[in-house]
Amino acid sequence: MTESVPLTWEEVARIYGRKIYNFAYRLTGNSDDAADLVQEVLLRVRKGLAAYQPGSFEGWLWRITRNAFLDEVRRRNRRPTAPLPDEVDRWDIASSPSADVEYSRISLGDDVQKALLELPYEFREAVVLCDIVGLSYEEIARAVAVPVGTVRSRIHRGRKQLRESLT
Amino acid sequence: MSHAGDLISAYLDGELTRPEIEQLKAHLSSCGRCAAEIQEVQLVRSAVRSLPMLELPAGLVPEADAEMVPLRRNKGFWVGAAAAVVALVIAVAALVTPSSPSIAIDELNSRYGARASLDPAFGPAKVVVPDLEGVLD
Ligand SMILES: [Zn+2]
Repeated sequence: MTESVPLTWEEVARIYGRKIYNFAYRLTGNSDDAADLVQEVLLRVRKGLAAYQPGSFEGWLWRITRNAFLDEVRRRNRRPTAPLPDEVDRWDIASSPSADVEYSRISLGDDVQKALLELPYEFREAVVLCDIVGLSYEEIARAVAVPVGTVRSRIHRGRKQLRESLT
Repeated sequence: MSHAGDLISAYLDGELTRPEIEQLKAHLSSCGRCAAEIQEVQLVRSAVRSLPMLELPAGLVPEADAEMVPLRRNKGFWVGAAAAVVALVIAVAALVTPSSPSIAIDELNSRYGARASLDPAFGPAKVVVPDLEGVLD
């Protein structure tokens, strides 16, 4: 792999910008929030690249990305005037499948997106990093700073909960 | 083991070792509940992976827009990436030996008709298992 080849900031922006945007969009369901996050992440990458030690670039990049995401949510949380992203309310609440929403077809992307937003954050993050970003369990473990076994459990529980939401 | 649990997702993601695959197969052959669960989880996994890869809003990342003009076009990059993935999958399939603790792609190919996803929306190649019938035999 090209893990140890240092990328320039421009290359990171070109190669990963769209993936970071999709990561943020699937976590928030909101294109403005996703756009903000892309800019914040690229800013941090630009600052951090000089100190980057060759290793797992994907793990490094996605750790920055997810930390930037969490910082942004916390920042908004502290500002009462700013509208909270919808999913923030759900962070500490184990979600239950919403009975008032009818999901008839699993193939509809809108339904899948809604179901994703109903997941507890840790499950949603693991599923998005696996199925949207395409990281390996090992890379997700590095990005999220949890053991691989935890990643495996979160992904599976997330999918089972998605299945409950979608049927 | 009691039930297959998260071995199911790890299997679908190509994240199981050979002994774990054998363990899972043995369990699935005698447990209807887990056999049904693997089909359901596979469906959900496919549904999430089928979400469209959204385009970056124009102007958000000028470096990404700029590639429309010069050497590496966006599509060209992905075509190149897909070709690289194909080469990698072939190389890995050739290299993986039966004693390897990592998942044996050639074995999955022969037993379950596994294939590597080339859709760039899904990121790096993953072993996916479209046909679960082989698992459930
Ligand atoms: Zn079972």
